[in-house]
Amino acid sequence: MSLRPLGLHTIVDFYATEARMRPSENLRPRDEKLWQILGQVGRLRSRLNSLAFQHAFFYAAAALIVAGALIYISAFMLTPINFIVVTVTLSILAAFAIVAALRQGWLMRSNARRAATLADERADLKGRLATIVTIAEHRKKGPMWSYLVEDTLGRRAEFAPSRIEKRRISRAIYAFVASLIVAGLVWPLSRIRHAIPMPASQGQDDLTLDLNDLHLRPAGPGDDNAMTVQADPETMRRLEDKLAREGVEPGQGSSTSFGKLMDQARNMANNLQDKLTGQTQNHRRLNLKLADATDPMSGPGNHNPLDAANHKRRDAAGQFQRDQTNDNSGPLPRGSLRDNSSDEPEQAAGRSDLANQQPGANDPNAATKPLDDQGDQQNGDQGSSGGAAHGIGVDPDSLFGAPTQSKLGNEGFEIAIEARPMEHGAKGAGHAYEPPKVRTPLAAVQEPDEPVVRTEVPPDDRTTIKRVFER
Amino acid sequence: MSELAAVEVPTVADFARTFRRIQAEIHKVIVGHGQAVEEMLAALFAGGHVLIEGVPGTGKTTLVKTLGLAMNLSFNRIQFTVDLMPADITGTRVILSSDDGRREFTFQPGPVFCHILLGDEINRATPKTQSALLEAMAELQVTVAGVTHRLAPPYFVMATLNPIEMEGTYPLPEAQLDRFLFKVRLSYPDEIELTRIITSTTGPEEAGVEPVFHADEAPARVEALKKLVRDVIAAPEMEHYAARIVRATQPQNSRYVADEARSVHDEMVNRYVMFGSSPRGAQALILGAKVRALLDGRANIAREDIDRVAIPALAHRIMLNYAAHSDGIDATHVVERVLKSVRAARA
Repeated sequence: MSLRPLGLHTIVDFYATEARMRPSENLRPRDEKLWQILGQVGRLRSRLNSLAFQHAFFYAAAALIVAGALIYISAFMLTPINFIVVTVTLSILAAFAIVAALRQGWLMRSNARRAATLADERADLKGRLATIVTIAEHRKKGPMWSYLVEDTLGRRAEFAPSRIEKRRISRAIYAFVASLIVAGLVWPLSRIRHAIPMPASQGQDDLTLDLNDLHLRPAGPGDDNAMTVQADPETMRRLEDKLAREGVEPGQGSSTSFGKLMDQARNMANNLQDKLTGQTQNHRRLNLKLADATDPMSGPGNHNPLDAANHKRRDAAGQFQRDQTNDNSGPLPRGSLRDNSSDEPEQAAGRSDLANQQPGANDPNAATKPLDDQGDQQNGDQGSSGGAAHGIGVDPDSLFGAPTQSKLGNEGFEIAIEARPMEHGAKGAGHAYEPPKVRTPLAAVQEPDEPVVRTEVPPDDRTTIKRVFER
Repeated sequence: MSELAAVEVPTVADFARTFRRIQAEIHKVIVGHGQAVEEMLAALFAGGHVLIEGVPGTGKTTLVKTLGLAMNLSFNRIQFTVDLMPADITGTRVILSSDDGRREFTFQPGPVFCHILLGDEINRATPKTQSALLEAMAELQVTVAGVTHRLAPPYFVMATLNPIEMEGTYPLPEAQLDRFLFKVRLSYPDEIELTRIITSTTGPEEAGVEPVFHADEAPARVEALKKLVRDVIAAPEMEHYAARIVRATQPQNSRYVADEARSVHDEMVNRYVMFGSSPRGAQALILGAKVRALLDGRANIAREDIDRVAIPALAHRIMLNYAAHSDGIDATHVVERVLKSVRAARA
């Protein structure tokens, strides 16, 4: 008797042998031989069933992991609507794949007869095992039964489980490993997507535009509506007139069931994306300040600074509006533009145009600089300290990073406006105004969104910019 | 007929050894036709009869004669003609004078009373005569003048059919064809075989056949081997397989097919087959497969055994329609197609 360490296999083998031998204690020698054959077929059956289970498990797990990984990465890369479409599609495909894998595994399972048939085919036993397994259940076995048992037992080595089915691990494990690799690749890819600088800052929530430059149209289904229009009563009245002239009816955008459905889908996608990306979405409203260049109350000074920067500012606002959904910032930075949402109405009325408050507001060149800087700030990331990913409101020493190397893609520019009635107008006017939901396409003189190309800040200007930020 | 002598119960190895010896003795005389000889012997040990189809001069008669010699069994030959009467086969009562001068009717056995009977060109006899032989084949007895006479086992009939010169012949009806376990085809020998035939038959010495059994125990030995064949185990799955094959030969449009639900459908069968195999076909499949299993040293039959005997066991039981004849479709093609379909359905 060979000595071997008392391990788990030894114990299992002992009990398995005991279990196999127990029924044969009272059997005749011929029946013992039959039990030996059936026991070997049983072990083969166990191995086949194990492979079937592994097949189902590995393929189902692989499908689940790949689908999950793709959904996860799409949460970073796709827009909400595309994300929800991709998620639903992948979920359906994954469900089909899992069901197919489970079904195939179920079909692959073996009973004793099937295992015997497989052994007959692979060991070229010409139906000996299948016949034994089948006839063993019958009481009447015929005069040649003993010969069949003896003959088959003599070929015992030919149908050993390790010979009939060499594998203990299903080949489906390759699919499982591949799915893990895919999942492993998705994680760094998602980190890269995290690090891509956003062209607009999440800190800006005020935007001042000239009423004459607004091209109004009804908002479409699924348009973002996180925007509040603020203006002095006269400008609001002019906006009403303009809306009336252009035939835009308030709230006509999402009044349809399809539009509502799209809104719900977008919200759901937003929530899901937030959960997957680990970002808490800040659904703050964007305050759109309207300025009337023709309004004598505003004066030319209100409008002039915007003339030069209007184009870039709208681009930035359009991008900003999209980025609101991915806002991961904590406290809002307060730069050159102030957030009206938390201010008192009286205070808001006094700052119809913050350009007036900037030094050198009347100087077009001077006026564009803060805006350009603001654009730079918008391009920053809150976590980084400079360069293309530098943050807003951080140490002024780290304001200037390397110029942007990559040219960002062109995108269409639209502003969807949902105006809501406010308790007070920009200057404290008491009448409630219910502005329509409009969308402003690009004007003929406007160009598509061209992200601000970062350039090296001239050394002479750095001192000035630093001073602004230190203040 | 005398009782069979007591012989030792043969084993599987005995069967294969005896079979191969008989085969070898036959091939001392018969050149080629290896498969035909094997199928013929298989039918003999399976307890059936063989219909041999072959053109003249292919050694049909010689084959049967050699078989009788090799097995040391009594052998008779009947040349069927149009004017052959049933009594010429079965025997008749004749008036014989005894030693004391009395005259009495005495049964004079016909040529069917033997162990191995060759019915040469059976399709030339009238149906009445044919049926007289077929009764002997099926029931191992003949009835003459109201008296039944048992035939001594083993009883093995080999009838030959000449596929040419069909004028003035009486083709065997399907019911009678069904009584033959196998139908074996003898084709023309190839060039090498023909050369060997010339050498062995035109020389001064003829090949001598050595009997495998002693004359006194030959019938008992053959019967013991036939019993061994019956003892081979056929798993229910194999029986189902044979049944599926037979069912698959029956066309769906046949009004005699009661149950339309079947596992295998083949368009070729529906198109060309008028009547499929009878249940005797399934019996022939299993019995032939048992012989094949014993020859392979097994006590159980496998699918391969059934497949190998399918054509000789089923081809002559399938009745083709005119479309098959016009398209040149043979029953062999149908059986091959059916086997393919059944295998595919199993996979």
